[in-house]
Amino acid sequence: MTVKIEVIAGGIPHTKIMVAGIIASLVCLYLSYLNVVTNTEMFSFFGGLAVIVALVWGSNTIKVLCSYGIGTGVPSAGMIAFGSGVIAMLLATKFGVAAPIVALVLAAVVGLILGYLSNEVLNMKIPAMVQSLTELAVVGAFTLMGFAVLMTGGFTFAALTTGTVTILGLSLPSFQATFMGGCLIAVAFMLGALAIQHPFNACLGPGWTQDRMLMLAAECGFLSMFVAAIMSFALITAGSALISLIIALVGWGYTYMQYIEFSKRDAASWLDAKPIPDVEGQ
Amino acid sequence: MENIVFGIGIAALTGALATVAGAAEDTESNIGSQGDPNSQVQLAPQMGFLHRIFNKAVAGEPPAYGLWCALGAGLAWAFMAMQINAVLAIVLGSVIAVFVQGVYATTAYLGRTASLKKFGQPVYVDILKSMTTVTMAHAFVAIFCTVTLCYLMNAALGHPFPLPLLGLLWGIALGAAGSAVGNPYYGKERQYQNQKFGAGVPISASGNIVRYAEAGERNSLDNGFFTAKLGGPASGVCFGLIVFLELWRTILFEKIGAGWGAIIVGVLMILVFTIIDRYIEVWARKTYGPYAKPEEASS
Repeated sequence: MTVKIEVIAGGIPHTKIMVAGIIASLVCLYLSYLNVVTNTEMFSFFGGLAVIVALVWGSNTIKVLCSYGIGTGVPSAGMIAFGSGVIAMLLATKFGVAAPIVALVLAAVVGLILGYLSNEVLNMKIPAMVQSLTELAVVGAFTLMGFAVLMTGGFTFAALTTGTVTILGLSLPSFQATFMGGCLIAVAFMLGALAIQHPFNACLGPGWTQDRMLMLAAECGFLSMFVAAIMSFALITAGSALISLIIALVGWGYTYMQYIEFSKRDAASWLDAKPIPDVEGQ
Repeated sequence: MENIVFGIGIAALTGALATVAGAAEDTESNIGSQGDPNSQVQLAPQMGFLHRIFNKAVAGEPPAYGLWCALGAGLAWAFMAMQINAVLAIVLGSVIAVFVQGVYATTAYLGRTASLKKFGQPVYVDILKSMTTVTMAHAFVAIFCTVTLCYLMNAALGHPFPLPLLGLLWGIALGAAGSAVGNPYYGKERQYQNQKFGAGVPISASGNIVRYAEAGERNSLDNGFFTAKLGGPASGVCFGLIVFLELWRTILFEKIGAGWGAIIVGVLMILVFTIIDRYIEVWARKTYGPYAKPEEASS
């Protein structure tokens, strides 16, 4: 029924990106565990780096999936990635230090079930569907966990649900001022869901190039990390949040300039206040 | 009684804010050519119609505004948690959310246009500079009003949801209202002005959008100027009514039957609107339709 309309031509093979993505996000998530080891919150920025790596991998997965003629489904692919990922991520946070590994396994199971349902029950019959939905669920879980680490400094359930409110100099425990209680997870969900679909959605077309799309994915990641770092000022120490903020700003500036360079390279022409050019056959 | 009067006052205020937000949202998305008319703007160069229209396809309007408003609300929540005054917190949150919106808009335009190299569509730097700033200004109004109405619901009416979640929900509702009400006006009445009224878009006319003005060439600012007259306010009234009626029924009827009163009134309201919609549709078909056959129309 479905016809493959375009294939990936050139660029880094998807398997390579996937393996690198899994390993790098896991390593980044575990490096943030240095927070517990050294009893600080200085290493929270590793959560943001995990987000960026996962988003770069996820945007390439969306390219693979949406090459099968799912043009208008690009934003919804981002939504299903995070919808399935959030279940796995929340459950995994109960497993303490094993949380990233458990999130990987649980998300893969959720993704497999969803892929099976859409291909066999809904009869979509898209060859890349099962693998892509599995990957997207893992990407969603890793991204949400990365945002949680970036904003709270930890990926355990306790870190996400316990906070303190200072009233008249007194520190009181409060569920309201947390990642879960303040529903910052909703913001993380939307930040990730738009950042994962935007690179392919913005770069699709006959002149698609992989390096430009992946650079845009990194740009979206750093931009999301920037705003998440601002929100983290409410939950972690100012110094630690400042480290994340500076890393995010520098990374965003670099990737944004690079993306503009790539767009200049790929565009038909780069005009400033010029009329519509004449084309043949008009 | 005083409680109810206070509640209705807040409901009226949020309804007014929502009306402004809806109008600004629709104008913003039309200048950026977001939503479903975007497909024709995207298609035009492929059919040989190069244009100077801004092509800012971030996502559909509901998810995009879900993010902008959730982000604005989340940042405002964080600033309030840092003991910053609520008004300042909402303004700062909206400003940063608008910054994100602007960056997304530029990358979307550059990416989409660069991928159309094969068809010779140039990237216009002046379009990028002038349109992005205008969409950012409109988006700020929309986000600020939406986050403020969420804050009023949370702080004044005691809504149990935290601010970021309310921002997400009402942001999606805002995008949906602007998309459903405003886009037909932008897509059919503006981009397809050079087709016969009500003719639909035949395949031969695909991508043949309005590109030239009375003098010179059109850009998206003209589209915003055109749709701000009717499409924007209509979207505003739609979103304003949604917010106002939702709060009105909750405040007045929540106490009846342990909350069931508000639910029953909600269902009744849906029925009333369905009847009104059906009546208008039948009336419009009788008055303006059926469409004349081509030979009669050409005579």
